Amino acid sequence: MAEDVKPTRKNLMEIEDRIDLSERGHDTLEQKRDGLIMEFMDILDQAQDVRDDVETNYEVAQSKINKARAMEGDVAVRGAAAALKEHPEITSQSKNIMGVVVPQIESSKVRKDLDERGYGLLGSSARIDEAADAYEELLESIILAAEVETAMKKMLTEIETTKRRVNALEFKLLPDLRENQEFIEQKLEEQEREEIFRLKKIKAKKEEEEKLEAEEAREEAELGEQKVTADD
Amino acid sequence: MSQEIAVVGSPEFTTGFRLAGVRKVESVPDDEKDERLDDAVERTLDDDDVGIVVMRDADLDHLSRQMRRTAEGSVEPVLVTLGAGAGSGLREQIRRAIGIDLMGDDDNADGDEANS
Repeated sequence: MAEDVKPTRKNLMEIEDRIDLSERGHDTLEQKRDGLIMEFMDILDQAQDVRDDVETNYEVAQSKINKARAMEGDVAVRGAAAALKEHPEITSQSKNIMGVVVPQIESSKVRKDLDERGYGLLGSSARIDEAADAYEELLESIILAAEVETAMKKMLTEIETTKRRVNALEFKLLPDLRENQEFIEQKLEEQEREEIFRLKKIKAKKEEEEKLEAEEAREEAELGEQKVTADD
Repeated sequence: MSQEIAVVGSPEFTTGFRLAGVRKVESVPDDEKDERLDDAVERTLDDDDVGIVVMRDADLDHLSRQMRRTAEGSVEPVLVTLGAGAGSGLREQIRRAIGIDLMGDDDNADGDEANS
């Protein structure tokens, strides 16, 4: 609140400095927000392609496993699933996009050869192999989607934070500071006007006194002259 | 550090992923999802060895509001949903952060832009 600040020149200078700093910060944050949005747009295009791939692969994988279940039976499919020995693993490294650390996920052991699957060639059928293949492909697209969507989530969080900061500066901090600046300027002007008025009053009073003194002196001089003439 | 992929959902949903070698699996039968899915998702999200959690988008409706928000906003591990309407959480976040629905079809995006 403007009434909370003391209307002094020192405070005015401090507020002017803060306004200057806040305006520069506001401009920088606006540039950062715009840059992040542009980077985000690039990732978004990629994300939509990846998401389409995931959905397509999921439909294919579902249809293949349904076929395997129908032809080989649910027990055979579950039995093959339980026999798997190699498990897909992911490792993530990070890269920096405009100060936002986003992951780069690398995967291993997602795609497996028939002999690596563990259920053996005799214990399964081509339909189960096809379903396993389809799910391995689905996992690959899911890993890519995870990388892109994590990057998007992190960037969106950063965009939201930056946007909140820009709005706080634009709609709260800067208006408050400007209100304080205006309040102090008005108070200082008022004090200056009062000071000028006071000085004028003092000057007028002084002139009045000087005038009176001069008149008294003249009267005294006149009286003195009359006295001298009468004596003569 | 290497991490694994986890799958949460009905046994029918998880079997395919087990066939691809996924071993972190939380199978919750359809009729028990309302009671057990929250705990299963919480366990998976708390597991440090898990880097990616896979779920059906429709299963998110069985989660409590708090758990759904936690899962959708989670970055480590990240949640990837499958099925119709997948990515709705991300879409909502985009709408909130950017102000327009960038993941919608073109007609919707134009409409939202005009409204904003």
